[in-house]
Amino acid sequence: MSHDYSKLIDELSRGHRSRAILSKILEVCGDSVLDLSRRNIIIKIVIKANCLRTALENIYKEHDLYLRTIAASDERSREGLFKLYYVFGIDSEGTNLVFEVPVAEGAKVDTISDLFRASDWYELEAHDLLGIEFNGRQMSRLVLPEDWPENLYPLRKEVSVEELKKMYQPQLISRVSELGVEEVVRIPVGPYHPALHEPEYFELYVRGEKVVDARYVGFMVHRGIEKLAESMKYDQVPFLAERICGICGFVHSTSYVQAVEDALGIEVPERAHFIRSIVLEVERLHSHLLWLGVALHLLGYDTGFMHAWRIREKVMVLAELLTGSRKTYGIDLVGGVKKDIDKDKIPRIKETLNVLRKEFKELVDVAMSVPQVKARLTGTGVLPRGEARAYSLVGPTVRGSGIARDVRKDYTYAAYHYVSFKVPVYTEGDNLARTLVRVDEVFESISIIEQLVDMMPGGPIKAERWEPQPMRLGIGAVEAPRGEVIHVVLTDLYGPYRWRVRAPTYQNLQAVPIMLKGVDLADAPLTIASIDPCFSCTDRAVIINLRSGSVKTLPIEVISRRVRENG
Amino acid sequence: MRMVKFLKMLSISVREGTATRKYPFESPLVTPEFRGKIEVDPVKCVGCGACTRICPPKALTIGNEGDEIVLKYFEGRCIFCGMCAYVCPQKAITVSKEFELATWELGDLYDEVVHTTVKCRICGKPFTTVKFVKEVEKRIDNKVPEDLLTVCPECRKKLTARKIGSKVVGVSGE
Ligand code: SF4
Ligand code: SF4
Repeated sequence: MSHDYSKLIDELSRGHRSRAILSKILEVCGDSVLDLSRRNIIIKIVIKANCLRTALENIYKEHDLYLRTIAASDERSREGLFKLYYVFGIDSEGTNLVFEVPVAEGAKVDTISDLFRASDWYELEAHDLLGIEFNGRQMSRLVLPEDWPENLYPLRKEVSVEELKKMYQPQLISRVSELGVEEVVRIPVGPYHPALHEPEYFELYVRGEKVVDARYVGFMVHRGIEKLAESMKYDQVPFLAERICGICGFVHSTSYVQAVEDALGIEVPERAHFIRSIVLEVERLHSHLLWLGVALHLLGYDTGFMHAWRIREKVMVLAELLTGSRKTYGIDLVGGVKKDIDKDKIPRIKETLNVLRKEFKELVDVAMSVPQVKARLTGTGVLPRGEARAYSLVGPTVRGSGIARDVRKDYTYAAYHYVSFKVPVYTEGDNLARTLVRVDEVFESISIIEQLVDMMPGGPIKAERWEPQPMRLGIGAVEAPRGEVIHVVLTDLYGPYRWRVRAPTYQNLQAVPIMLKGVDLADAPLTIASIDPCFSCTDRAVIINLRSGSVKTLPIEVISRRVRENG
Repeated sequence: MRMVKFLKMLSISVREGTATRKYPFESPLVTPEFRGKIEVDPVKCVGCGACTRICPPKALTIGNEGDEIVLKYFEGRCIFCGMCAYVCPQKAITVSKEFELATWELGDLYDEVVHTTVKCRICGKPFTTVKFVKEVEKRIDNKVPEDLLTVCPECRKKLTARKIGSKVVGVSGE
C-alpha cells in the first residue's frame, strides 16, 4: 500500500470514529494491510494474520466498538486459503468494520480473546469446525461432542453432509468429578440429554445458599445447519433459517435474506420492507409475552404466567392472519416477501393492538404489585455496565445495563427509519432492569406497528429479478427479541458458499456466570432466564451431593420453590 | 392498598372467562390464511418438476417409475411453507387448511400424480411427460426445434457435440 493514506482514509471513513480507527491501523500495520475498501456501511480491511492482533490492540479501547461476529470460511478451493472475517460494529456511526484475514493451512492466528472477550467462543468454534489454530490461549472443544474424532473438521468443503450424518452419535455428557472442597456442593442445572429441546447445562458452585461460581457447557444440539445450507438454493435457505429458533425464527430468515441482498446489491421494494418490519415486531410481541410469562412462573406467580400467555394468544392469531402461520411465518424470500398484507386486515391489526396495549398494561400493573415478584427481581443477577461492554453483549441484556445498543437504530434496516420509537434503557443491570426493558419494548412495538400500517406504501412486494454472483460478502443484522442476530453470507452461484449465523444468546450466555456470582441459589433460575435464552419447560436440574453421593433430578423451578420453603 | 391491587386479577379472570378452546368440539381453530397440507391437482399438473426443485425439505419428489413419471408428495416431510404453490407455473398446487394429519397408516401420508411419458427417440428412455411437451408446444406456438421435445437431455448433448464437431472438422453430413 502507498504511504500517503490520508486521502484514502477520507474516502473510506464514515465518521470520526472510523477515521481514527483506520488511521491507527494503517499507522501500526502499514504494509500488512493488503487492501482497504468500503461498500455501503461495510468498511473492509484485508490484513495479514500476523498483524491482526497488533491492529486490534491499538483500537480495542475505542468507545462504541464491539465484536459482532467472526465468520470462518474454507476458501482453499478458490484461493488456497482459509479466511477469517471479524465483524466489528461502531454503534454511533452504524459502521461495520470487517477484517478479512487470510490464513494458510496449518498457520496460527493470534487470539484476541483477551481484548474482545466475546471472541472466546468464536475462536473455539473456528477451530472445532474448520481446524483453524490460535496462538496464546487454551483450546478446548466447544461445539463438537467430546467423542468426535480428531482432525475431522465438518465445515471443510471436502467433508460431505452424508459423511457427517454417519458420524453423528449423540452422547450423554456427564461431568461429575471430585471437588476436594468440603462444604461445596456442585449443582448442575439444565438438561444435558441431546434429545431434549434447547439443552443448556449450568454448573452452579454453591456455598450455603450463595452461588460462588458458575460454568456453562452448551452446544449439545449443534445441528450443522450452516453446513446443510451450503447444499441448498438461495430461496430454500430462508425456510431453514426460520427453524434455527422456535421462538424468533423470522429474525433469522430476515437476517439471511438481508445478507444476500446486501452481498448482491438487490433492491428490495419498500412495501416488502414494511411487511418485514411489521412481522418482526409482531414476533417481538409474542416473544416478550412468552418471556414475561415464564419469568412470572419462575417467580412462583403462575396466575401471571397464565394471563401473559392468554394475551399472547391474540398475537399468535394475528401472526397467522398476516403470514399464514402462527410461528414459522414462511414469507421471507431473497428480494422481498411472498405474502402481502391486504388492506382489509388493517382494522383487525389495530383492534388487536388496542386490546393488547390495554390488557398488557393491566397485567404488568397487577404482576408488579405482587410483593414477591418485585422483591425477587430487584437487585438480583446484577450485570455491571463495564462487563456488558467488555463482553459485547446485545439486546435487553445490554440495555438493562445502561447501554442503548439496538440494531434497529444503530444499523437501521427494513422500514425502521420511517418510524419514531424509543430504545428503553435501564442502568441498574439487575433482573428488574432487564424485565422493565422488555415491558417497555412491548409498548414501543405496538406503536411501531401502528405507525407502519398507517404509512405502508403500495407497489410490489418482491424484486422482479436478481443475478447471483460468486464470492460476494454480505452482512444482515436484525434486532431480535433477545438482541442482535447477525448473519454473514459469502455468495455462490445457486446458494450460499458460506453462511455464518450468530444468534444473540451466543453472545449473552457468556455473561451469565458473571450475573450468577453472589446470587442466592433461589434466584439462579430467574437470573439465567433473564437473558431470555429460549428457556424450555423441560429444563431440569440434577442435584449431586458429593458427600452422601445422592443424586436427585428436579425441574428447574422446583429449586427456587424448595430453597424458598426451606429458607 | 397493595393487597387490593393484587386481587384485581380476579376481576380480569371473571371478565375474560375460560381462554382454552374446547377443541375438537369447537371449531375452527385456524384463520382463513392458515397454511396446511398441499393438494396437487392431477389435471392441471404437467409434471415439470419446478415444485420439487424448490421444496426445501424435499417433501415433493419426481422420478421415473417404469414407464411412468411420478410426482410424489410426502406429508411427513412437508413444512407447509407453500413454496411449491408459489412457483408452480400451472397453478396446480393449492395450500389447504388441513392440519389434522395424524394417521395409523404411513401410506395415508403419501400422494401421487402419475404421468404418461414421452420416450427419447434415440435411447428409448422416458424423459418427460406428454402433458409437459403439450404445454411447451402451446406456450411457444409450435416453434420448438423438434429435438427438444423428442430427444432426452443426455442424447441431446451428444447430438450437439457431434454437430459442433462436424462443423469444426468440416466433415459434412451425418
Ligand atoms: S406442474 Fe406444478 S405441481 Fe406439477 S410438477 Fe410442475 S410445479 Fe409441480
Ligand atoms: S409446502 Fe413447502 S415443504 Fe410442503 S411440499 Fe410444498 S414446498 Fe415442500
